[in-house]
Amino acid sequence: MKLRVYDADPDRVERIRARCLARLEARRSGGRAGARHASGWRRRLEPALAVGLGALYLADANIRALAACADR
Amino acid sequence: MEREIELRLVARLKAGDSAAFEAIYEAYRPRLFGFLARLSRRRDVAEDLLEETWLRLVARASELTDDTRLGPWLFTVARNLFASWCRHRALDDDRISDLVVSWHRPGESPFEATARGETERRLEAALARLPSRDREILLLVGGEELTPAEAAVGLGLAPEAVRKRLQRARERLAREMHEEADEPREKAG
Repeated sequence: MKLRVYDADPDRVERIRARCLARLEARRSGGRAGARHASGWRRRLEPALAVGLGALYLADANIRALAACADR
Repeated sequence: MEREIELRLVARLKAGDSAAFEAIYEAYRPRLFGFLARLSRRRDVAEDLLEETWLRLVARASELTDDTRLGPWLFTVARNLFASWCRHRALDDDRISDLVVSWHRPGESPFEATARGETERRLEAALARLPSRDREILLLVGGEELTPAEAAVGLGLAPEAVRKRLQRARERLAREMHEEADEPREKAG
């Protein structure tokens, strides 16, 4: 079934193109900013998490040692 | 569009490449507009839905899978937007077919306009008289050359149901075209 190809009004075609490209650019720059934002958070969060996990591990080891002493 | 080129365009679009968007826009825009205009029978509605379809592509570009087939994706979105528009406006098939579409072609001479194929005119007229269910499946599979399986995804149907619906739509189209051809002879006789 061969149908004739029509197109939208040339002004409208350009308006749609401009709107989509602007959105694409906004998403791209937003994505870059988001990545920078996330990496900043990660830089601060990772050492805090490491310290927190280390403290939990030590506390757990102490509790186990005390429990072992109490059993004896 | 060749599959290899399509895959590369999808990857670049996902990364936000505006040149990839431009290439896809040029390749699919007239076909999408024709599809929407034939479905809606209104140029202004077709242009609004066309814009919304492209904005959806941009908004969801990063979520596309690597093997996305752009044609079926775009026609599915366009078809769903048209269905939403119909629901929103509560338009039925009778009202849609009453609406007049203006196929203004810039730069077309009177000779070119006269020379436009009789078969094409009959085909367009017969398509316009079909119920929108038949029209959309004929436009997707017959006009845009989507496979029945690809059309099935867009229409939310099983491939077998699409084949049956397509068969019925083709029969109706053929009947409409014969009736269109017989009418002038009957009038003349």
